[in-house]
Amino acid sequence: MSAVWRAARAAVRRRRLQTFLIGLVVLLCSATTVVSLALLDASSAPFDRTFAARHGAHAVAAYDPAKVTEAQLTAARTGVAAAAGPFGQIVLEPDDRSVGPLPPHAITVVGRADPGGPVDQLDVWHGRWPSAPGEIVLAFPPEENMDRGPLAEMTSVSANGVTLRVVGFAYGISDSADGWVTPEQVRALHPTGLQMLYRFTGDVSTKEAVNARLSGVTTGLPTGALIGAEPYLTVKEDAAEDLGTYLPLLATFGVLGLVVAVLIVGNVVSGAVVSGFRHIGVLKALGFTPRQVVTVYLLMASVPAVAGAVPGAVIGALGGQALIGEAFRGFGFGDTEISWWVWLAALLGIPLIVLVSALVPARRAHRLSAAEAITAGSAQRRGRGLRVQRALSGTRLPRAVSLGLGLPFARPGRTALTMAALLLGVTTVTFAAGLASTLNRVAEIDVQVSGDIGVRGLPSDFGTPTTRTDAQVEELLRGLPGTARVGVFADTELAAAGSNEPIRVIFGRGEVAELGYRAQLLEGRWMAAPDEVVAPSNLLLERGLKVGDQVAVESGGRRGTLRIVGETVRGPSGPPGLMADWSSLTTFVADPKLAPSDFYYQVQVTPGTSVAGYVAAVRAADSGLDVWDNTGGDEFTVIVAGFSTVLGLLLATVAALGVLNTVALDALERRRDLGMLKSIGMTPAQVVAMMVTSMAALGVVGGLLGLPLGILTHRFVVPMSASGARVRLPLSVLTVWSPAVVIPLVLTGVLIAVLGALLPARAAARMTIAQVLHNE
Amino acid sequence: MTDQKPVVRLDGVRKEYGETVALDGVSLEIRSGEAVAVMGPSGCGKSTLLNMIAGLDRPTGGTIEVHGERVDAMNETKLALFRRHHLGMIFQFFNLLDDLPALDNVALAAQLTGSKAGPARKRALELLDELGIADRRNIYPAALSGGERQRVAVARALMNRPALLLADEPTGALDSKAGEQVMDLLLDLNQIGQTLLIVTHDERLAHRCASRLVEMGDGRIARESALERS
Ligand SMILES: Nc1ncnc2c1ncn2[C@@H]1O[C@H](COP(=O)(O)OP(=O)(O)OP(=O)(O)O)[C@@H](O)[C@H]1O
Ligand SMILES: [Mg+2]
Repeated sequence: MSAVWRAARAAVRRRRLQTFLIGLVVLLCSATTVVSLALLDASSAPFDRTFAARHGAHAVAAYDPAKVTEAQLTAARTGVAAAAGPFGQIVLEPDDRSVGPLPPHAITVVGRADPGGPVDQLDVWHGRWPSAPGEIVLAFPPEENMDRGPLAEMTSVSANGVTLRVVGFAYGISDSADGWVTPEQVRALHPTGLQMLYRFTGDVSTKEAVNARLSGVTTGLPTGALIGAEPYLTVKEDAAEDLGTYLPLLATFGVLGLVVAVLIVGNVVSGAVVSGFRHIGVLKALGFTPRQVVTVYLLMASVPAVAGAVPGAVIGALGGQALIGEAFRGFGFGDTEISWWVWLAALLGIPLIVLVSALVPARRAHRLSAAEAITAGSAQRRGRGLRVQRALSGTRLPRAVSLGLGLPFARPGRTALTMAALLLGVTTVTFAAGLASTLNRVAEIDVQVSGDIGVRGLPSDFGTPTTRTDAQVEELLRGLPGTARVGVFADTELAAAGSNEPIRVIFGRGEVAELGYRAQLLEGRWMAAPDEVVAPSNLLLERGLKVGDQVAVESGGRRGTLRIVGETVRGPSGPPGLMADWSSLTTFVADPKLAPSDFYYQVQVTPGTSVAGYVAAVRAADSGLDVWDNTGGDEFTVIVAGFSTVLGLLLATVAALGVLNTVALDALERRRDLGMLKSIGMTPAQVVAMMVTSMAALGVVGGLLGLPLGILTHRFVVPMSASGARVRLPLSVLTVWSPAVVIPLVLTGVLIAVLGALLPARAAARMTIAQVLHNE
Repeated sequence: MTDQKPVVRLDGVRKEYGETVALDGVSLEIRSGEAVAVMGPSGCGKSTLLNMIAGLDRPTGGTIEVHGERVDAMNETKLALFRRHHLGMIFQFFNLLDDLPALDNVALAAQLTGSKAGPARKRALELLDELGIADRRNIYPAALSGGERQRVAVARALMNRPALLLADEPTGALDSKAGEQVMDLLLDLNQIGQTLLIVTHDERLAHRCASRLVEMGDGRIARESALERS
C-alpha cells in the first residue's frame, strides 16, 4: 500500500492545479448541493419538519367540562403516544371590533402554564409567557419588525369584562388557540371547554385515520364529552396554500443546482483521470498492478474531493439555512434545521460522485496496456471531428479562431458535459432574471394599488374618533400638499343568494381606477354602470365565480344583482371583496350606517413628496385619524430576489469553474501542440484567442439552448407559484422578454465561458514550451 | 558559398536551471548559407542552445542576436512574430497536429500569419511536391511513416521562407533509410542557400550535411572545426 500511497501523493503534488481545482469545484458543488437539497427538502415538507420539531398535535380536541372530568381525560390514553392537557379553554368576544390583525370574530383562549410540554411546543418569539392573571400571549406567526406594524399596536385585549395585557406573541404549528393565559386566569373566566392535545401511535396520514385514533381515545369516555376536534391535516392544508408561492420556485432552483453540481464534479474528476492516462502508463511500466494503478487514481481524486466536500457542505448548510429561514420565517416555519439526509447526501453523495466519475475512466486505465495508456492520454481522433477540423481550416476565419472552434470536437464527452453545465447556468440565470423582472412588475402594480398611504378613522377604543365626515376627511386629504390621488372605500357584507356566507362589497369613490386597480385588470373591463363590479382573482376562485357571472345580493329586504365585468389581481387592502362604484352604495345597501372607522382612504402622493412627512401632516391635521405608510418593502419580492440572485451567481460561478477546468485540461493535454504552434509563430494573443474561442463557442450554443429553456421554465413555474398563492398573474408581468433582456442573457453563456477560460488560456499562452517539444 | 553576414551571433550565453548549468558561456556565430552541426554527449546543452536561439526559453546571461535582432530582449509577442518570419524548426518527434491532414499541417504555418486558406494550401502543396510527398497530402499524421512525417515537418518549417532552419535530432526517431532521405533533403536545402543549424548524435548526418562542426561538452563549446562534406 505504501508504494500506492506514495505514488498518489506524488501525483497530487505534481498536479497542484488539478488537485486544487478538484477541491475547489467539489467545495462549491457541495455547497450548491446542500443549498439545492435544502431547498428541495424545505419545499417538500416545511410543515412536516416544523411539526416534528415542535411535537405538533395530531389532533386538537375540545371536551365538555360538564360531561367529563379532568382525571378521566388524563386517564384516556388508548393509542396515544403523548398528550398535553387538559387545559381550560374559553371563547372570548373582544369588545373592540376588528382592530388591527386580530380576527374580527371570537378568539379561543387556552390556559397553559408553559409553552413547552410533550405536545405542541410553542415558539414565544416575542415578549414572554404569561405568568400572572391579567396577562395574555397572542398567536401570530413571527414578524420581523415589531416597532412598526399592526402587532406593535396590540397592547391589550378586552373581552367578557376583563382586560388582558399582551405580554408576548407566540406561534404554534398546531393552531391550537388564538391566545394563551395562565391556568388561574382561565379558571377565573369559567372555561367552557377542556383542551386535549394528542400525538398518536399508528396511522395518522388521513383525516379518517386521525378520527379513528381519536375515537379510540374517546370510547371509554361519557358520550357527548367530545365537543369537537381538529386533525392536524386541516392546518397542514392551509399551510400548503400559504407556502404554495415559494415551493415551485425553490424546487426549480434546487433541481438546477443539483444537476449542475453533479455535471461539473463528474466532468472535473473524470477529466483529471483521463488526463492522467499517460502517467498511468508510466506507473504500469514501473510495475504497478492494474489494481494499484486504479487505487492511485481514486486516491488522487478523493483526497481533494473530501477536503472540498466537508467545508463546502458546511458553507452550503449555513447559507441554505439563512436563505430558507428568511423565506419561511413569516409563515412560522422558523425551524430550518438542515435535515440529516441533506448532510448525508452532501458529505457522502458528492464524494461518491467523485469516486464514480473517477472509477469509470480509471477502469478503462485498468484494462489498458502501458503503451496504450500512454497514447490514450491524448485526445481521440474521430471521423466527424476530423472532418470539422478540415472544414474549419479552409474557412476565412483567423486560424487561431478556427483552431479554437475545432478543439471541442476532439473530446466530445468533455465538451458535452461542459456545455450542459453552461446551458443550465444560462437557464438558471435566465429564470432568475425573468423571475426578478416579473416580481418587479408585480411589485409595481402592488405599489400602485396599495397606494402610498393608508388612512382610516380611529375606532373609539383607540382614542377620540375624528369628528369629520368622510367627505370632510376626503377634502382634508385632497387639500394637503403633495396629494396626487385619493380613493375612498367603504365596505359592507351583503347576504348572497344561494350561499350561507355573505359576500363583501367594497364601494369606492375618487380616483379608484387611477390608483392602479384598472391597470391590473386581468380580464374584462372596468365597471361602468351602478350594478357592475370588478372582482379580485382570489375571491373569484374562492367563490367559484368568473367574469360575466351575476351575484344576487340582499340587504335589509332590498334585493339586487351585481354583474361581474372584470377580474383584477387584487383589491384594496383587507379581505377580498367585490369592487363597486360609490353610486351603487345606496342602491344596494338599505341602511348604510357607517362609522368613521369604516372608511378607508387610500392616498398616492406626487413624486418627490416625503411619505413620512405626509403621514405626519395627516396626523397633525386630525388626531382622530389612523394613518400609516403603506409603501413598506415587499418582503416576498426581496426574499425571492435574494435567493434567485444567490443561486444564479452560484451556478454561473460553478459553470465558469467547469470551463476553467476544461481549458486547463485541454492546455495540459495539448501542451505539445501548443508548443509546436508557438514554435511556428503563434503569438500569446493567438493562443488566448484559440482557447477562449473554443469555450465561447460552447457558451454560444449553451446560451442559445439555455435561454429558451429558462424562458420555458419561467413561463411554467411562475404561474404555478402564483396559483399557489391563489393569484392569477396578468400576462404583462410574464412577458418580460424584450430584446433588451434576451440579448444580454444569450451573452451570459459566452460571458461565463470567456470568464472561465481566460485565466487558464493566459496561463497556456505564457507556458514555457521548450521542454515538451524535444521529449516524448 | 558562405557570405560574411552572421545570421546568428551568441555572446557569452549562460543558462541555468536551478543548480544545473545547461549553458556555460557559449559564444558562436553562424553565417548565412552555412550548415552547422552541433554534437556532444547527452545533457551537454545542445537542445538548450537551440531553444535560446529560437527564443523558446530565455538565457540567464549573455546576448543572442538573430538576423540582427536581440532575441533575448524581445517580449513574447515579438518573439512569436520573429519566429514566424525568420525561423523554421524541426524536432525529433515531428510535432504535427494529429487532427489535421499533412497539407493543412503545412499550411498552418502560413495561415497563422494571416494568409488565406487557398494560397496557404497552394504553397503547402508545392512544398510537399518538392519534398516528394504530395501524394500523401490528405493523410493524417498517424497514418504516415516516420520519414514522411519528418518531411511534412520540414515543409511546414520552410513555409514562411525562414532565414534559419533549426533542427533538433531530425533523424533521431527515424530508421536509417528514412534518416538518409531527410539528410539528403537538408543537404539539398543548404545547397540552395538555406542556413542550417542541426543538433545531432549522428556522425554521418553531420559529415554529410554540415560545413562546420561544433562539439559541446558540459554547457561549453569544446571544439569547432570545418568539415569536408562527404
Ligand atoms: N527545463 C529544464 N529544467 C531543468 N533542467 C533542464 C531543463 N532543460 C534542460 N535541463 C538540463 O540542462 C542540461 C542540458 O539539457 P539539454 O536538453 O540541452 O541537453 P541535450 O544536449 O539536448 O541532451 P540530449 O542529447 O539528451 O538531448 C541537462 O542537464 C538537463 O537536465
Ligand atoms: Mg536534446
